[in-house]
Amino acid sequence: MKSESGSIRGRVDWVLVGSMLGLLLIGTVSILSAASPLPYYSQIIQKHFLALGVGTLLFIFGLSFNYQIFQDQAKMIYALVILIMIVVLVFGETNRGTRGWIRFPMFSFQPSELARLGTLLVLANFLDRRAKSAHRVSYVLGAFAVTAPVMALILMEPDFSGTLPFFPMLLAMLFCGGVNLAHLFAMGSYAALTLTMPLIWTLLSLRPDWVSSSAVLGFLIRLREFDIPLLIAIAGIGLGSWLIYKIMRALRLNAPAPIFIVAAAILSAGLASGVLIDHQLKGYQRNRFVAFLVPQADPRGAAYNVRQAQVAIGSGGLWGKGVFSGTQSRLGFLPERHTDFIYAVIGEELGFVGTMAVLALYMLLLWRIVNAARLARDRYGYLVCSGVAAITAFYLLINVGMCLGLVPVAGVPLPFVSYGGSNLAITLLSMGIVGNVYSRRYAFY
Amino acid sequence: MAHWDRGLQDRLNILWIACYAGSAILGVRLLHVQVIRNVYYARVAESNRTQIIHQSAPRGKITDRRGAVIVTNKPAFSLIYLPGETRDASRVAGLAKTLSKELHEDSEGLLKKLREAHEEETAIHLAENIPLKTMFKLSELKTIYPGVDLIVEARRYYPNGAIAGHLLGYMGRMDKSSWRRFRRDGYRIDSWIGKAGLERSYERQLRGIDGESRMEVDAQGHLKRKIGEAPWTPGANLRLTIDLNIQRAVEEGLRASPSGIGGAVVLDPRSGAILAIASTPSYDPNIFLLPDWERPKDHLKNLHEFNRAIQGTYSPGSTFKMLVGASMLESGIDSKDTIYCSGKFTLGRRTFRCLRKQGHGRVDWIGGITHSCNVYFYAMGLRTKGAVIERFSKMFGFGSKTGSGFKGEKSGNLFGPIARKARKRGWYEGDTVNLSIGQGELLATPIQMAVYVAAIANRGTLWRPFVVSQVIYPDGTEEPVQEKKKNSTVKLAETTWDHLQEGMRAVVTKGTGRRVNIPGIDVRGKTGTAENPLGEDHAWFVAFAGREGEEPTVALAILVQHGGHGSAAAGPIARKAIEAAFPPGHRVQLSAPGTARQEDL
Repeated sequence: MKSESGSIRGRVDWVLVGSMLGLLLIGTVSILSAASPLPYYSQIIQKHFLALGVGTLLFIFGLSFNYQIFQDQAKMIYALVILIMIVVLVFGETNRGTRGWIRFPMFSFQPSELARLGTLLVLANFLDRRAKSAHRVSYVLGAFAVTAPVMALILMEPDFSGTLPFFPMLLAMLFCGGVNLAHLFAMGSYAALTLTMPLIWTLLSLRPDWVSSSAVLGFLIRLREFDIPLLIAIAGIGLGSWLIYKIMRALRLNAPAPIFIVAAAILSAGLASGVLIDHQLKGYQRNRFVAFLVPQADPRGAAYNVRQAQVAIGSGGLWGKGVFSGTQSRLGFLPERHTDFIYAVIGEELGFVGTMAVLALYMLLLWRIVNAARLARDRYGYLVCSGVAAITAFYLLINVGMCLGLVPVAGVPLPFVSYGGSNLAITLLSMGIVGNVYSRRYAFY
Repeated sequence: MAHWDRGLQDRLNILWIACYAGSAILGVRLLHVQVIRNVYYARVAESNRTQIIHQSAPRGKITDRRGAVIVTNKPAFSLIYLPGETRDASRVAGLAKTLSKELHEDSEGLLKKLREAHEEETAIHLAENIPLKTMFKLSELKTIYPGVDLIVEARRYYPNGAIAGHLLGYMGRMDKSSWRRFRRDGYRIDSWIGKAGLERSYERQLRGIDGESRMEVDAQGHLKRKIGEAPWTPGANLRLTIDLNIQRAVEEGLRASPSGIGGAVVLDPRSGAILAIASTPSYDPNIFLLPDWERPKDHLKNLHEFNRAIQGTYSPGSTFKMLVGASMLESGIDSKDTIYCSGKFTLGRRTFRCLRKQGHGRVDWIGGITHSCNVYFYAMGLRTKGAVIERFSKMFGFGSKTGSGFKGEKSGNLFGPIARKARKRGWYEGDTVNLSIGQGELLATPIQMAVYVAAIANRGTLWRPFVVSQVIYPDGTEEPVQEKKKNSTVKLAETTWDHLQEGMRAVVTKGTGRRVNIPGIDVRGKTGTAENPLGEDHAWFVAFAGREGEEPTVALAILVQHGGHGSAAAGPIARKAIEAAFPPGHRVQLSAPGTARQEDL
């Protein structure tokens, strides 16, 4: 270990800061360009710079004192998270059918962003403290128990896409925390089931001919409601696993009973929560699935946005059309251009060079976050950094993948780059915490 | 607490690699979309933002022989709709509703049009030639409904209104089936096309090449700015042989005539060029260009499309007498031979009357034609024989089309023993008597009569009448279209021509056509009153005229349907036409020799 303690060079990760600044610069320029034809342009600019200012303060705040305080105050943080989520459900402002904003005189704040970071810190604490029992089921279930209430509160807003980053966060932190892979697999299948069932039902509802021609599919689609078919299915799952267990015993194959119980439980619970999610899905969210699964079904509808985003990116070419010169974005063909589809604006105006620059800066940033995790002086710091890396990577892959038509449209921001004050401020705060972990990487100084 | 299990970092590395792999996929996809498929997406983006607006090229002008404008274009406002990305059906429906009030059109139909525009993603014309007062109201819509816009286009304009309406024809919209035929030539579904007359037969030349301007539009369909333009090429101009002054004189004369119904053709006997061709009642072609709501509802039902100048067939009556004279003189009958007219003529048990009850007394050729003495022609016709008259009438173009090329021209009807035989019916002397005064089954169109009288004027040349002399292309090249062409030549003795022309001069100077005697102009003519069993007689006047001592330059045939007596109804029109052909300043001084010559005979 090199002894660089005390020197500012060793305490601040300038590569991390540099890549952050690069992304912020590209983002700010793109927002200025993309939002300029909008009537409330000046408001957007004001709010963006306000968020940048607040974010910088939060970044410094995140850096300034020992991050271990967050671990010590985990209970306080958790209480705060639950509190603000309840507050927003009661006093929040509704926007597009989602009660997810708290209004302040100059801006609105989305508490779910803060809740996510808070949950991350609390979860890291939990996983750190239970590290000795990482091989136990309680490790997974506990982690889930910590996360679930927050997710449930976000779903109640209802903000489906707000819960999405919790999944990679949870999985990555469990994984890095040393979870028993079998448990992780079980939980992963539960999550997968929860998420894929609504997808399957949506797809089936698009193809009534398939449903009517197949009894299996017909039964499958009837599981959509909390009704007798669902009970039959759950009962069937239980009976089925019991039968398989009995047969294997009869064949003298050594199969521990808990595996079957867990499998049955996961299947049933996954099915049930799938129904829950399906009921939470809003029409436009379902349309996004449809657009992704069957783009030709509605060329003017939800698929239109993705199509226009791809046209914007593709028409940018190698060097782009120049900042403030993208026709797709300036003439309004590109929807959500300063928020979720900002990457398409970059693609159009800055070209392949611009999009690759963003990717490269992200790679640099992620490398530094992972590096911070690796060098962290304790497991808590390591877990925090892993969680932040997972969320950041998730945002990047989903947002860019969505612009390129590789994944369904989900209202997921591109941190540092897309417009959205709450996300920007909280992202900067989390970077501050990562920087904090990095700066205190030596046990003694 | 420092010694945590750093072996867990292997797991972190796995995540790290997964994340890089995901980014690599994104990078490859970006390379594909932005670099490899760039041309395709750039084209899509370009077509996204551009909307092509077609601008109708101004159609070629039509001028008369001196260059006076008969048909031209003038700027007019059109309401167009550019379908944007508005997927909001209620908005489109709202637009249709608002427009239906302003355009007086039913909103269902408009909605259908708008929806089609959205489906085809093309700009459409919602209304054209919008009057100013409506325009101001519509221009407000621009701000409310994106995609609605007013543009200026060249519209056909007929400054003389109904003058020469039948000749010019009119413009109209294509129906779907003809569009399929024309689309190869660059017509659009909302293109205008010549539907009748010259507008139709010279469609190819008159129509230019439409221009297009490439406009930048935003996603809502708002026009932002012009980003490119392909200018139109105007259509070729047509120069007609028509003399607008004569045309106007003839047409106004026909309208002012007792019945207001008639047809007239004025030719240049030296070439067959049509100086005027008119039929009343006619129509104002401007009506077809008005927006639907400005147009009388039943205008198509009451459209006077029947062109009497070429489609109306009438008995020539006494105007046929020159032909009878020609047959008679060529058969060897002397012009000095006289007939005593007692006012009636008896053939077998039938009695045929002369115009003058008390009779004309003893008349020779000049006397007979001057006073249009029927008895003289009854007798001479019988001496000449019906078959000879029929042969001569065929020679002079009766019973066959003049070859003018006008659509719907009629050939009239030959009358004589041969024609009768073809119909397996006999020929009687009474028929010859009828034929001698141009009655019976003999039918001719005004244009045939004009060709016939022109042939008398030029001593034997039956011209093919024509009306378009040149096509003048935008680059200045002139292409002769129709040139003078002889249909045939009638060979008669020079003395016969002299007799015919002298007879017609006497008609004007002292006979039934005195109304057309214009000092300084050598007018020769013949009145005709075609008996019409169904009603009032049809009035004819045929004539040719030239400056004194010069060859005739104008030949005409005027018919006033149910006009009564030829002299009274058709004569004044012929006079006006001749006066228009020889404006006062250009007339030769009245000279004695002309009249002296008449008196010699």
